[in-house]
Amino acid sequence: MMYGTKAIQLVKEIANGEKGQLTPFSSDVFSEVIAECSQHFADLRSLIRKMQEAGLDVETSKNEDHYGQLIHHLSLVRNKRCLMAYMYNRAEILRNLVWKVGSEIPEEIQEKLSHSEKEYFKKHSEALKSYMSRVVLELAVDMVPPKDPYIKVRVLDDMGEVELPSDNTANFARHSMHFLKRTDAEKYISLGKMEELTS
Amino acid sequence: MASASDLGSTDDYEALMSMTDVELLKSAWRQEKAAPEILQFESRLIKRVREQIQLMEETVEEFTESGFDPLTVSLYQMDLDRTQFLLRSYLRIRLQKIEKYMFHIFATAELLTRLSKEEKWFIERCCVDLQTHLEKSVLSQLPYTYQSIFQQSVINDETDMVAKPQLDTFIVCKTKYYLGHIQLEDNADGEPDGSGSQKPLEEPFEMEPNVLYFVRYKAVKKFVEEGKIDLY
Repeated sequence: MMYGTKAIQLVKEIANGEKGQLTPFSSDVFSEVIAECSQHFADLRSLIRKMQEAGLDVETSKNEDHYGQLIHHLSLVRNKRCLMAYMYNRAEILRNLVWKVGSEIPEEIQEKLSHSEKEYFKKHSEALKSYMSRVVLELAVDMVPPKDPYIKVRVLDDMGEVELPSDNTANFARHSMHFLKRTDAEKYISLGKMEELTS
Repeated sequence: MASASDLGSTDDYEALMSMTDVELLKSAWRQEKAAPEILQFESRLIKRVREQIQLMEETVEEFTESGFDPLTVSLYQMDLDRTQFLLRSYLRIRLQKIEKYMFHIFATAELLTRLSKEEKWFIERCCVDLQTHLEKSVLSQLPYTYQSIFQQSVINDETDMVAKPQLDTFIVCKTKYYLGHIQLEDNADGEPDGSGSQKPLEEPFEMEPNVLYFVRYKAVKKFVEEGKIDLY
């Protein structure tokens, strides 16, 4: 097996995936790459020892063992970059998700995450929420420029009697249609409980 | 409002005074949206806008209660909604830049001072959380000389793993001034981009007032920070 072929699988997974969509966390490939890194490091060290035992200066001697070390070092660094790119890009998708869904991870995404990723999602959504309460402003609404202060919506999920931010109450029975303040409806639309009707 | 307030002549002052805060917010929002890096937080402007929003909200409420013509009220409401969108979007764009380049901004004093108090708090949390996550899931399992989150290994460049904004991206811009001595292709700022053969253009570039230009952000960065160029 050639060095680095596993690590590239991880990067390809990110690159080929639909933009902004998470794939299930590839824990098997991931740990195989980690193991490969440890192997590279062990090989690297044994080559250094070999040179030292032969009485060679590790810094200056340019024999085959020196270049062997270099190969292991570069392979390790490349693997690290791939591992980090994989986690980093997934973390980025998670952060964008926080903007869309708030603090609750949707179930179908929950199962695609590693333990640490779930933790990270929670931590980051807390940070964002805490920022919003510090500036006393909800930022997850008004995501698109407002056209009309009122919009027509259809309720997709039975919610019953609901109190709206603008102090009105409304009966959101399933499939009922309403004419609401945009700011009142936005939260339900982003949660998928309502859809905007455009004529 | 550090970036736009240090304008020199009285002409600028008058031009500035004739703009409402909402217009200023719109221009700050546009700058922030178009610039690849984070700009100075317009703290005084934001404070004023928020006060005005509160006032508008009270007005709308008063009108509604006293049974004003609904059409008039909805016009006020629409105006209010637009301002609120601008404000939220402005803060959001900044947060998203912070999320994207957190380690770079956090490690660069010049950029860090551009953030508001709350943003500084936020970026610190962001960095700690992401670093913890990456250390737990990747770095702690690597050999010890390869565990840094900022550099590939101990023998590499200090921050070769840190994501930075692309400052040589193209932007559309216009200026109210006459700006000369703009170096379009300078590689002299210590960041060789590998193509050592690229020579600076012989003639420095000049920008005339009210003409639309399409240039690299890096070349006009200084003027953007001074508030002399508007981005579109």
